[in-house]
This record gives sequence, structure tokens and C-alpha cells, in this order.
Amino acid sequence: MVKAGPVTDRAPIDSPDSGVRPRMLLAFDQSAYLPILLIIMMAIAFAVGNIGVSLILGPRREGDVKSITYESGMNPLGTARKRFNVRFYILAMTFLVFDVEIIFLYPWAVSFAQIDPRSPDGSLFLGRVLFFLFTTVVAYVYAWKKGVFRFD
Amino acid sequence: MIEKLAQLHPEIALFAATCIVMVLGLAKSSFWRGMSVWVTGLGLVAALVLSFFSPQTDGMLPNSLPYLKAMIAAIGLMILPLMGGTVDRWYERTVGRGASFDPLRVTRGEFYAFYLLSLMGVMLCVTADDLIWLFLALELTSLPTYIMVAMSTPRLRSQEAGVKYFFLGALSAATFLYGFAMLYGATGTTQLQDIAIHFRTEGMGLIGTLGLVMALIGVSFKIAAAPMHFYTPDVYQGAASPVSAFLAFAPKAAGFVVMIQLLSTVGWGWGEHGIALPEALRITLWVIAAITMTFGNVLALLQSNAKRMLAYSSIAHSGYMLVGLLVGPGQGPIAGNGLGAAMFYLLCYGVMNLGAFAVLACLEKRDEHGELVEIETVEDLRGLHAARPGLAWAMTLCALSLLGMPPLLGFWGKLGLFTSGISAGEIGLVVIMGLNSAVAAFYYLRLVRAVMLDTRDEDMDRPALTDMFGRRVAAGLSAVGVLVVVIWAGQLQAASDHATEVNPRIRQFNERVVEAEETPVIESIARND
Amino acid sequence: MIDTALFAQAAFPELMGGITLYHYLFVSAAMFGLGVIGFLARRNLIIMFLCTELMFQGAGIALIAFSRYWMNATGQVFVIFVLTIAAAEAALALGLVVYLFRRRHTLDAQAWAELSG
Repeated sequence: MVKAGPVTDRAPIDSPDSGVRPRMLLAFDQSAYLPILLIIMMAIAFAVGNIGVSLILGPRREGDVKSITYESGMNPLGTARKRFNVRFYILAMTFLVFDVEIIFLYPWAVSFAQIDPRSPDGSLFLGRVLFFLFTTVVAYVYAWKKGVFRFD
Repeated sequence: MIEKLAQLHPEIALFAATCIVMVLGLAKSSFWRGMSVWVTGLGLVAALVLSFFSPQTDGMLPNSLPYLKAMIAAIGLMILPLMGGTVDRWYERTVGRGASFDPLRVTRGEFYAFYLLSLMGVMLCVTADDLIWLFLALELTSLPTYIMVAMSTPRLRSQEAGVKYFFLGALSAATFLYGFAMLYGATGTTQLQDIAIHFRTEGMGLIGTLGLVMALIGVSFKIAAAPMHFYTPDVYQGAASPVSAFLAFAPKAAGFVVMIQLLSTVGWGWGEHGIALPEALRITLWVIAAITMTFGNVLALLQSNAKRMLAYSSIAHSGYMLVGLLVGPGQGPIAGNGLGAAMFYLLCYGVMNLGAFAVLACLEKRDEHGELVEIETVEDLRGLHAARPGLAWAMTLCALSLLGMPPLLGFWGKLGLFTSGISAGEIGLVVIMGLNSAVAAFYYLRLVRAVMLDTRDEDMDRPALTDMFGRRVAAGLSAVGVLVVVIWAGQLQAASDHATEVNPRIRQFNERVVEAEETPVIESIARND
Repeated sequence: MIDTALFAQAAFPELMGGITLYHYLFVSAAMFGLGVIGFLARRNLIIMFLCTELMFQGAGIALIAFSRYWMNATGQVFVIFVLTIAAAEAALALGLVVYLFRRRHTLDAQAWAELSG
């Protein structure tokens, strides 16, 4: 019977001999990241600049209306420490389904663009993702029948 | 794609039943709601029948599908009558008295659906040939059980148990996920076969060993083995007895199957005689097995609560089964098939453990608030023989079988583990196992003494028999099974041995590598340059 | 026109030039370790849950780094499924914790003495 185990003397990947490979493979085109760096800098400059400019130029008037919490144009009701209705959490959970569904659509979308539009694979490919979306709809119909979206 | 689907027929049957059950659970008429348990049963029967026609696979255990899936479906079918009436019992009575039906307040459909989904997860663990698949199947097994624990009784205790189970489960999931990530990192593939080939050609390396050890430690949560066993008594006690019986089987089966799949990627062809695991893994498993069985048995001795006692005994039984995993499939003429012994023991454990929990679920008493709750303590079982001889005999048979009394099922299961352990030369572990079995006798016999020999004090109120007939059916099935399955023990053991033969392609791979030493595997050249 | 590669090198000489697999693995191991420590040390259930999420994402980073290292997409596919499972666990945790909070009015894990022994 032949003894199992390492039969070749090639270096396993964690040995120091192979330390060059990761560096080589993981090196990336650094210039491609410059636009991202520029975007970040622009975003910071825009935010800081706006606050700074409004501090210098903006009129300053204190008042009751001015000091209340900004609630997207609505008058705030009650205190911020009020407990949320549990239904909000349930809604948040149902939202999670869509949230995750999107992740699966990304790889699909990337590869769908590479399919020849005239080939029969295209409709099959589309059909698969539509079926996937349909399963989510089924889940929502179930939640709706169960009464999750009733707020009474 | 199509060949893969052919392996999944039992799972598809279970999934179809799941969908129907969820819809039925929301039906307005109580008749259709009541049908959900029958549809669940029908789905399990279909899965049982279909699993006998499962084809051979190309995975790590090519013959495993028929035996393992049939076992899962059969035990699931045995636990099902016990599940009846666990949830919605009080709500259905309120509706029966004329209250209007609110779909948000019934949980029966979900409960059975989760039951089926969890069993489906176990079956998917059997079919899995890929780390991603294994990960998803393990999560599918355990996520429903968290909810089942939390909703099994309306008491606060169950919800606390559910939360505890969930949090520790998430910790274990993260642990084995990290292990899987390391395995992928060490080999560059998630296909178990390719991982096995990589390990054989290039050795395991540090990352591979680390990954496998982490994955095993994470999965040890599912089988309630050290170092992730601490939740077991609390969760089993907090959940309703039927759910505890289920927890003692389904996640355990999934965990053992996954452990076997993971270990077979390394193979048992290492060590001095070429029949052991690599030393690091062997020591890890050895220590886990020894600690698990000793810890479980010693702490079970100290319990006065029968449910906690059974929970600790469940830990101990995991330790016994780990011996089989340590031994491996018995390569060469001298070693017995430890994997087969472990899988046969899993079947025995599923049958006999069910009865012990079922007897507890059959009896009820009033708690301090005057509500009927399932009994839990050994004290409540005292003098059961006089009042309910049938249940007392069921409890006795199951306890003796769990103990490993010779003519009963548990003995034959343990015998296989002992012989395979001895044949592989794991004498130290077998001695520990023998000592543990002796310790276990104390507390199992205490259960037997309580139900058969002790008499009940006159001033104590008697536990009432539950009005749910299915639970008595489950207790009866288990007791009869402990006696009757023994007749086919030989065939089942042989089937189990056959099911756990490791893929010959992987086993012969070593020889091919030696032959082809001059022309090594092409991918490895590509990777190294 | 500035030479972008030179610019990046000058801005982050060590960081941009020498990121290897081991850097990613270090980050992932650190995240996993922080998650374990947080899980064991903190008592608030929400924080404990966040710690398990941290552990999941630590494994995710390791998977992505290995995926890049082996030049195949398997690890990335794995991560998509990991995110799915993480979301499912988040929904479950939210449900269980909210349910428990309504009955108990605390999220202190130590406050539950009913199950012990």
C-alpha cells in the first residue's frame, strides 16, 4: 500500500520560497486608482468648502425654529428616544431580501452583456434571472398574505 | 447539471412539500391547517422512497446517498408524530371557540416548513461536493432550528434558548467559514475532490491544516462536541421536548456528514501504517473525542433534570461517534470501517434518543402558573410504571439502549465503534470510551430505576398524559425500533459500511502520482511559474 | 500630465507598492480575531451580533484575497453566498432580539438566569 502524503518536494504555498508570487499576482495597476483618489479629495473639498463658505458668508439668526432637529422638512414629533414600532423592524427585514437579491444581479448583469444578443442562450439567461426574481415575489406574496404589511 | 439534479430528487420532494405546507399553514379552515402535518409526512415518505433510487456520485463518498438520505428521511418521519401540536395548540383552541382567525398569529405552517427545510439541509450536506455547497447546506440545517427552538413554546425560556442557540451558532458558522476560506486559500479550489487531489500531491501545508482544524472546530458546534458544546443543555432544556429530540438528530447528522466529507479530503492514508489521519488532525480529533465523551458523561451524572441529562448524554454520544471518524474508512485489511460504524451509530442514536424525549413530551404537569407544561425532571418520572406501564417500558428500553445493553440496538451500534477503534490501534481512546460507557450506566440506570422501581409519594400530583396521540406513537415507534431494528442490524451495518467507502478515485490517486512523478499535474506547473 | 503610477508611489510608497496576499490575510485575521474577542467580551446582544458579522466579513476578505491570488472567481462567488447567509442571519437576529427585548426590556446577555446549571 502506498503511503499518502506529500510525494513531490515542491514548496507548499505558505513556505517562504514562494513569497514572490503573491507580490507579483496581487500587484495592481496603481494609476487606475488615481481617479478614485481624486474623487475622494474632491468630495472632501466640496464638503469642507461648503461648510466653510456658509460659515463665512451665511447670515446668522438664532430662533426656536432654527434650533429644532431637522427632519427633512417635517415638524419633529415627540422625542428621538421614542421606541419604534416593531413593524418597522419587520419591514427592514423584508427589505433585506431585496438588498441581497441585488448582489446576485451584479455578476449576472456583467456576464449578460457578453452574450451575443442573437444566440438562444440570451433568452435562457434572461429567463433564469427572471425566475430568480419571481421567487422573491413569491416570498413577498407570502409575507403579504401572512399580514406582515398590515399596520393596524 | 442534469446528473446533479438526479442526485437531488429527495431534496426536491422535501422542497415541494415545504412550499405546500407553508401555504396550508395560512389556510382559513382549520381542516386544511391540520393537513400540514400530513403533507409534511407525505413529503418525507416521498423523500424516503426517492432516496433509495439515488445514483452513485462522483463526490468524496460515492455510495453514500441512498443510505444516508434514507436514514435522514426515516428518522425525520419517526420524529414527525412527536412534533404534532407543539406550536399553535392554544391558539387553535381559541379559534375553535369562535375567535376570528389571524394569519399573523399562527406558526404551524412555518414550523413544519422549517422542520422540512432543516432535514433538507442535512440531505444537501450529503450531496455536497463543494465547500460553498457545504457551507450553504450547514446553514440551511441550522437557521431553521434556531427559530424552531424560539417558537417551540410560548415561554420566555424557549426564546432565550433560541437566542443563545442562534448566537453560538453564528459564532460557529463564522469559525467554519473562516476554515473553509483557508482551505480555499491553500488549494485554490472549493471542489472537495480537487482539494483532496491537491492535498495528496502537494501536502497540506500550514494554511491547509489550520483551515481544516478551524472548520472541524466550527462544525463541532453542530454535533455538540467540545469545544462548542456548552449551549447544549440550556438549549435542549429551553426548547420543547419534540424540538430537543430533533436537535439531537438533525444538526448532529449534518455535522457528522460534513466532518466526514472534510476529513476525507485529507484521507486516512497517513501515519505509520498509512491508515491514520495526519498527526495534527489526529491529535485534534482524539482530544475532542476524549473531552467530549468524558465531559458529557460526568456532567450528565450530576443532573436531576432529565432533559439536561439527555442533553449531556447527547454530547457524550457525539464523543463516541468521533472515534469512528478518527478511525476512518478502514483502508487495508486490518482496520474496520469506522465511518460506517459512526453512521450506523447515528441511525441507532436517532431511533433510541427519540423515545427518551418522546416519553418526556407525553407527560404534562401544571406549573406554578397553573399551565400544563411538559415534565422535565427525573423526580416527575418516579413511579411511572404503576400509572403508565407502556410509557415506562418505552423509557426503560430507550435508556438501556442508550446505555448499550446487549440485545438492544445501542449495543450493536457501540460494538462497531469499539471494534473499529481497536482494529485501528486507538487503544487509549477505546479504553476511555469503555470507562465512559460504565459511567453512563449510572445515570441511565437512574432513569430506569425512577420509572420502574420507585414508587410515587401519595401527596404528589401525577403527571397527566398528553392529549396528543402522535407523541405516544413516537414513543412507541422508538421503543419498538430499539427492539426490532436489531434484526436488520447486520444489513444496516453493511449498508452503512458500503455508504461510507471513500471515493476509490481519490484513494488510488496516490499511486497514480507516484507513477507520474516525472510528469506532474499540469495545473501545479502553471501555478508555480 | 503627471505620471499617475509615480504619483501613487510617492504618495503611499509602502502601501501601494507592496501589498501582498499576507497584508490581506492579516486584515482578515485581525477582523476575525476582533470579532471573537468582542463576542466573548461584550454583553450587549446587538454588539455581539455585530461581532459575528465582523467575523463573517473577515472570512470574506480572506476569500477575496485568495480569489485574486489563485486568479479564479470561485472565492468571489463564495463571498456572494456568504453575504446572503449574513443577511439571513441578520434578519433572524433582528427578529429574535426584538422579540426578546419586548418581553425582557434588556439586551444584556448576562441578565438571563433562567437557563443555567
